[in-house]
Amino acid sequence: MAHAASPFRQTMKTLHDLNVEAALAAPAPLARERAITAAFRAHEHDSPVTRELAVLSSQFPSSFEPIEDGDLIAGRIRYPLVSFGPEPGGLGYACLAGQIRSVVTERGLDEAARAEAEELIAFWEARTTESKTRAAYPPALAAALPSDAWTSDSGAAFPLYRMAGTVLDYAKLLRLGLGGLDAEVAARVAGAEPAQREFLEGLRAALRLVAASLRHYAAQSRSLAADCGDDAREAELKVIASSCEAVAQRAPATFHEAIQLAWIYALISGTWNYGRVDDWLGPFLARDLDARLLTEETATETICSWWRLMKAYENQFNNRVIIGGRGRADGDASDRFALLAMEATRRVCLNQPQLSLRFYKGQNPALMARALDVIGEGCTFPILYNDDVNIPAVARAFGVQETEAAQYTPYGCGEYVLAHRSVGTPNGVVNLAKCLELALHDGWDPVARRQAGPRTGNVAGFASFEGVWRAYAAQLEHFVAALAEQERIEYDVAGREAPFLFLSALYDDCIARAMPIFSGGVRHLGGTNETYGNTTAADALLAIEHVVFRDRAVTLPRLVAALDANFAGPDYEALRQRLLTVPKYGNDDDAADAMAQRVHEHACGLTRAQAARVGLDSYLVVVINNHANTILGRTTAASADGRRACERLANGNNPTPGADRSGVTAFLNSLVKLDPGIHAGTVQNMKFSGGLFRRHRAKLEALLRAYWAGGGTQAMITVVSRADLESAMREPENWGHLMVRVGGFSIRFVELPRDVQIEIISRTLYE
Amino acid sequence: MNDIVGIVFDLQRGALHDGPGVRTVVFLKGCPLRCAWCHNPESQAFAPETGRSGKTYGWATTVEEVMAVVRRDARYYAESGGGLTVSGGEPTAQYMFCAALLAAAKAENIHTCLDTCGALDWPRLDALRPDVDVFLYDYKATDPARHRALTGIEPDLPFANLARLLEAGASVRLRCPLVPGMNDDAEHLGAIAELGRRWPKLAIELMPYHEAGEAKYGDLGRPRPELSTHVPGPAEIAAWLDSLHGAGAPQAALG
Repeated sequence: MAHAASPFRQTMKTLHDLNVEAALAAPAPLARERAITAAFRAHEHDSPVTRELAVLSSQFPSSFEPIEDGDLIAGRIRYPLVSFGPEPGGLGYACLAGQIRSVVTERGLDEAARAEAEELIAFWEARTTESKTRAAYPPALAAALPSDAWTSDSGAAFPLYRMAGTVLDYAKLLRLGLGGLDAEVAARVAGAEPAQREFLEGLRAALRLVAASLRHYAAQSRSLAADCGDDAREAELKVIASSCEAVAQRAPATFHEAIQLAWIYALISGTWNYGRVDDWLGPFLARDLDARLLTEETATETICSWWRLMKAYENQFNNRVIIGGRGRADGDASDRFALLAMEATRRVCLNQPQLSLRFYKGQNPALMARALDVIGEGCTFPILYNDDVNIPAVARAFGVQETEAAQYTPYGCGEYVLAHRSVGTPNGVVNLAKCLELALHDGWDPVARRQAGPRTGNVAGFASFEGVWRAYAAQLEHFVAALAEQERIEYDVAGREAPFLFLSALYDDCIARAMPIFSGGVRHLGGTNETYGNTTAADALLAIEHVVFRDRAVTLPRLVAALDANFAGPDYEALRQRLLTVPKYGNDDDAADAMAQRVHEHACGLTRAQAARVGLDSYLVVVINNHANTILGRTTAASADGRRACERLANGNNPTPGADRSGVTAFLNSLVKLDPGIHAGTVQNMKFSGGLFRRHRAKLEALLRAYWAGGGTQAMITVVSRADLESAMREPENWGHLMVRVGGFSIRFVELPRDVQIEIISRTLYE
Repeated sequence: MNDIVGIVFDLQRGALHDGPGVRTVVFLKGCPLRCAWCHNPESQAFAPETGRSGKTYGWATTVEEVMAVVRRDARYYAESGGGLTVSGGEPTAQYMFCAALLAAAKAENIHTCLDTCGALDWPRLDALRPDVDVFLYDYKATDPARHRALTGIEPDLPFANLARLLEAGASVRLRCPLVPGMNDDAEHLGAIAELGRRWPKLAIELMPYHEAGEAKYGDLGRPRPELSTHVPGPAEIAAWLDSLHGAGAPQAALG
């Protein structure tokens, strides 16, 4: 879910684009940004609690956008270009300088306004939480991680700035209501130390902001209802108004009230993964259905409206809604919600939310049956997660009991967090293929043309494959160690800067300990590290072992010369063909899969080992993928697996696109060889033809059952035909509906840049 | 037995179209027939060949080597009711290898299909029966002269063997390639329907003509046989099915 500075600006709208649009459309452009800056400036030297509250009070409810026609729930948001939050605008206090400048230009603001905007940007330059984080790097760390521009610069490792992937305790919020939660905090104030007392009073003030935002929407929907002139719409608006009014003061009593409270809290908190939604909404749904206060049709339409609001938040890398799985309080009621949620996903046919189904042996079979129906229609959702494998794996990876691991919750592009018990923001990106590239050049980056990694030896001196491996391992170890230190520093700076009140109020232990989430409050402070190019590195390493050291068909320096020449030169194409014939991961081939396992276990193992050193409860690899395999590929030189320079890396821990040619069972067998108990999430993309789903449903179900039984952790399934994808490239205007799974997110195929479209077409289609 | 060597030209895992469930299909090289519509020209000669592209077609392998691959998907067979399909070419043309492979699979309780044209002496076919769960049995043309013209062999032996298999109670799935203008005549469809009526448990799969495989003729340096036919459309295929269903063979379906 690395999403900052998306290069897809031309085609894929991001939340930031929408925020710029909102700023452009505002009657007084940059007024909100100036107000927030003024609030910060006035309290810059006050306590973090006071300062955060001042900024939040300026930011809400003013960031909430009006209810639109058709909304059955209130809650639309556009962040100002200067903001505070865990990640929507950036890390903590954030200022989007580039976007502010584009507003100035596009609105044609006068010289005075331009000067004012520049003054505002200059004010924030050293005051954003991101810049304070970078300023806190010791020199060696700054040297190891010189760039933050992972989408454009060549490099092996990059830091990311955000507090991503928190999942709040919505069940508690709905059980207690704002009032009950406030009472719990108030009870803790007695006997607290002064600093603790300030924090706790800050929580109470933050909860009052939530209530104020609900009242803001109550008033707005009342007035819209009065002017609307359409009886049906008037009734809908009145439901919104009464729900907002009710939950501003008491705990929700109905399904609608429950969604309304949770949604406003989610938006105001700036968290954008919602956890086990069926667990916290199922009981409300079941109660209303059984009491005939609600029909299934009305409930489904309400969920559809909510899904559209999530889409309006434009957050394709997040917006996770989890259904199913072990460890839900009321399984039957949750299942009822889960079935309606899948129906809503089928109806809205959008790329958000990222509906995800957890399942286990013995779960109500109607859920999986319905899931496969919806996937078969080409929705790409729900994403499937196998609890029988994942719960023990998470217990092992996170070092927790299985009862706690049962609350594992996928977020973002596929990372796991223990809902409202852990944080594990993925704040590092490391490119394994680039680490191998550095190892073949004694630490020199041939793309950036600089010494980027440690000196690990000239290739002429590597007498055996193990020499190559040691150099590769040393490069990776250097960068992972840096990223781990960076993660710890980022938490420390975030904790110093702000108490993140909305998060702290709904995270386990923060109230009891009277400590903010990133300053000792959270129970399990973890971190995650996004690895890319894993399969590319493994396939390239095996090709080196076979072609250079086993067959002695070429010397290592000559191979490196061929890579440097991007295979353009005497006999280099013949060498490339030879490299391509070396077995590749994804074919159930023992040698290729063993190398993939070695790469996986090494990367995961060394990452885990950093936790104790930097003072985290866990630090784990995530083998997720968004489109980073394509983006990082653009700055990665030719590799020994036969890949040309700038081409895509393999996606997640999937085979190189098109390299899995031994049938679907071989592909699945390769996937399950990578140990799931040493990382915090992977993505397994699979592409099946529509014909397979329709005509051979029983066989498809059997394939998946065997995959799960063999240790399959999860599946992200795209159902398409090759002809459709090719037609969509030729005539995008006719194929707006065609949805594909890129990696950790889904999107309409026609919105992708050409190189990503080609990558998806080149993946093996099982038919 | 498991060190018997055969020539295999393809091995497809995760196959969903050649028998029940999820299967591994082993394609044995070499075929005594020359069907006019054949889209696997590399299956015809018995020896390995190299195409103009440098691609090799066929390799020598042992029963044990094949079984090592087949075994890897045991989980999928168990979940789906699938297993091993021995196909070709005409697999029984490499009789010893074919028989040993089927026996090896059966010895490990793996479900087996044999995809055959039935052109071999009955005692040899009969001897395979204990190791074959389902026969995928080709049925290509009814009129003897037409059968000769389209396949290069007389139909007597395949027809007689089909009757013997059915009388012996073998599980048979009739596979009928249908090529417009060549073998979709009323007499042939009528004969298929007659078999369906007589043997209600006989599965009947229609396999409409398609044009995959043209490139392989070029690579092997052989002219692609001229066919005066076309790829049938959905209406044409529906009409075939209707005529079979109407003639009392409700089991006819698309393969």
